[in-house]
Amino acid sequence: MKTWRFYFAGFAMLLAFDTVVQLSFKLTGQHAFPPEANAAWVMRVFGHPWIYLALVGYVGNFFTWMSLLKHAPIGPAFAASHLDVVTVMLASAWLFHEALTPMRLLGAGVIMLGIICLAFAEKASHPAHDAPTEAKGALGVMAGD
Amino acid sequence: MSPVIATLWLINVTLDTGGQLAFKAAASDPLAGDGMARWRYMARRPWIWLGILAYVTHLLSWIAFLSLVDLSQGVLLASINIVAIMIAGRLLFREKLTPLRVGGILLVSAGVAIVGLSG
Repeated sequence: MKTWRFYFAGFAMLLAFDTVVQLSFKLTGQHAFPPEANAAWVMRVFGHPWIYLALVGYVGNFFTWMSLLKHAPIGPAFAASHLDVVTVMLASAWLFHEALTPMRLLGAGVIMLGIICLAFAEKASHPAHDAPTEAKGALGVMAGD
Repeated sequence: MSPVIATLWLINVTLDTGGQLAFKAAASDPLAGDGMARWRYMARRPWIWLGILAYVTHLLSWIAFLSLVDLSQGVLLASINIVAIMIAGRLLFREKLTPLRVGGILLVSAGVAIVGLSG
């Protein structure tokens, strides 16, 4: 159950950082509009707080991801990290009035269905405190064991 | 698909997969310990730096790739990376692929592709 809480908290943080990064980049682009290949545009990019928020989000994302991977298997974890597609879509509809087309909502629904499957899969595979086993197995492979 | 686009796509999948595997190798080393000592241990070993290098070069290959194809097409091909990383995790880290895990990963990959196709 400890592993379960660790995953839940970790992925919630990762999702928050990912969403902040994407929205901040969009806001950076908006405030620096129009894009130009010159110093004036670069000045506009760094002249608003959004780019710095994006960088903070990037750093937070990196440390969260490296903490999660201590126990989380990379295959399911990498897939689960794509929940940000859904949160960014919803946030963009709210903040930037981007259209929520039926196709996009369908895709978001399929992603969430997949993540529910992954959550149940982890719940089933970690009945006790067995998280380090997978990490040990990983080192065994790396060491040619 | 032109040879240039195909090559860029292959480079993209390889860098994305390789980078994530390097991060996993760095993060799951049980000798790394806990807390700050763990970060210092990781910083002294090549894996985390390899992962960062792959991440940055992946970003460049992605930008180059997107300059040649539509974004929707790009996202569609990127959804394949999710499956590639699942297979690599199985081969290199002996990650168990239970039906529920495979089903979940394939659904996420399909969902990302659908969002990409919607343009």
